[in-house]
Amino acid sequence: MTSILLGILSPLAFVNTLAGTIGKRISVVAIALMVAVTLLQVFCRYVLNNALPWPDEAARFLMLWLTGLMGPVALRQGGFVAIETIHQYFSNTALKILSIVLLVMMLIVLVVAIKLGWKHVNSGWLFASSSLRIPLDLIGMKIVKVKLAWMYMSLFVGVVLMTLVTVELLLRQIVRLLGGENELHPIPIVADVKGAE
Amino acid sequence: MLVWFLPVFLVFLMIGLPVFFALLIAPGALLWLNGQERDIALLYRNIYNGMDSFPLMAIPFFMLAGELMNRGGITERLVEFAQAMMGHLRGGLAHVNVLSSMLFAGLSGSAVADTSALGSMLIPAMEKQGYTRRFSAAITAASSVIGPIIPPSGIMIIYAYVMGESVAALFLAGIVPGILVGIGLMLAVKVMADKYDFPVASRKYTWGERGQASLKAFFPLLTPVIILGGILGGIFTPTEAAAVAVGYAMFIGLFVLKTLKLSDLSDVFARAAMTSAVVLLLVGAAMAFKTVVSLSHAPETLAHWILSLSDNPLVLLFLINLLLFVVGMFLDAGPAIIILGPILAPIFVNLGIHPVHFAIIMSVNLTVGLATPPMGLVLFVASSVSGERVERIARAIVPFLLVEVAVIFLITFVPAISMTIPRLTGFVN
Repeated sequence: MTSILLGILSPLAFVNTLAGTIGKRISVVAIALMVAVTLLQVFCRYVLNNALPWPDEAARFLMLWLTGLMGPVALRQGGFVAIETIHQYFSNTALKILSIVLLVMMLIVLVVAIKLGWKHVNSGWLFASSSLRIPLDLIGMKIVKVKLAWMYMSLFVGVVLMTLVTVELLLRQIVRLLGGENELHPIPIVADVKGAE
Repeated sequence: MLVWFLPVFLVFLMIGLPVFFALLIAPGALLWLNGQERDIALLYRNIYNGMDSFPLMAIPFFMLAGELMNRGGITERLVEFAQAMMGHLRGGLAHVNVLSSMLFAGLSGSAVADTSALGSMLIPAMEKQGYTRRFSAAITAASSVIGPIIPPSGIMIIYAYVMGESVAALFLAGIVPGILVGIGLMLAVKVMADKYDFPVASRKYTWGERGQASLKAFFPLLTPVIILGGILGGIFTPTEAAAVAVGYAMFIGLFVLKTLKLSDLSDVFARAAMTSAVVLLLVGAAMAFKTVVSLSHAPETLAHWILSLSDNPLVLLFLINLLLFVVGMFLDAGPAIIILGPILAPIFVNLGIHPVHFAIIMSVNLTVGLATPPMGLVLFVASSVSGERVERIARAIVPFLLVEVAVIFLITFVPAISMTIPRLTGFVN
């Protein structure tokens, strides 16, 4: 039983680690760009006396995507805030079972969210962003307005990746319950997580 | 039926479901049982709409600015400055610790950053001078809660966003309370220093040397002036101010002081990205939760119950402080604010408490909660920085917590402490 679970676990862990590595690269660039476009906006408003229409929305676009990409990484590292005070009163086995129950609850939320998210993304093809354009006129084509779906997709992708992570965590917890603790590889730490505090 | 979602939510929270999921599953499940499936779709949309916010971007930006300054060796300059000013007093390094926290608070909005930056520097230095490790860790943790009270403040940005208040007004309202906490802690240090004969840290600096230390701290100390001056003068929004602070920190770190390396940046950025992802998801879930809070009429039911306890606002404020303090013992300030703000604030605003005043009561109380056992975030950080056990720090911190509780009550019952600066500057009328 344990070996079957470990067999499913290893490709899943590979995908999640890969998504985390790619997500981190993109997010580092995204956050640098967020700062840059916000500064550009301040510069244009005061120095050039000509506020640009797009930096605010572009920065939000980047922030949404880095949330979609890094949120799952944080979840995988156990970086989501939870009150674990009562866990010290549980026996080891009871705690493992409780963790499985909690992970199943999380999975339910995520599966419902995938369904709703898909509809949400599709509704976004009907609307274009108010300020974001792809300046294809620079290469002699027409300017394309960015569809809102590209923004909506960030949360959807985040939910899908979080589902993969939760399945991985759930399988790990089941392996632990079956006594296969030692055969689990540790989850790689991409970056420390802190809160707003 | 829907009224049940609060107790259900609390049970999920208590058994250890991550706050993000508890905020969604409790209202979601009850909406589903109620047959309101359209509203569940609304829940999802509100997560997205809640996250899609320019004001919230100030949180990762301020965090970035603080970390860049720390990496760039700016913390050391602040500590040197504090030492030049207060090092000659009895209990010198303890005073330096508090003053450094107050200065650092003007650059960073985070108590955790404050504890780890100042603690890794000052705790070993204090031990070398003969302070116990638990005392050194305790004063570091106790003073670091000033970080989110003196602006900028991650917690206040969240509060302002979730409750629709002005970030600038909350920032301004936090200045005096933050300074009060600092002064209170210094008084406590002074009393203890006389009683236990604490060492002085250094000889008295001459004014010339103080001038030199001030000059070295000039660039970092300019940051809060730029941030607050910019916001106050209407030059930029808090988010833009935060981006300017990042740009400024990078500029002086890379080019003026040349203490920052380009290779440091990717690591700092990754951490900021991770943090903002966690905070943003939480705020998004909180905005979804908030819609169900208002659908359920829970605030009215709760208000009815609270008002049956007493109709005297002062008594109720006292009780609410007790509640917040207990919540702060178990929950971090950010999640506590996004859960309790929408439920509690309307009740007290109806009783005639100014929304900004209530925001400060709540933020300061829950921020102090970061340093209270058993689940105090900064206690854990102080423990990992110092190597001292959490329980021992938790005992040593008690006198300082008493001071902070006294300040909380002062802030609660004397609104002018928080409200004067925002009123004078016209951010609150």
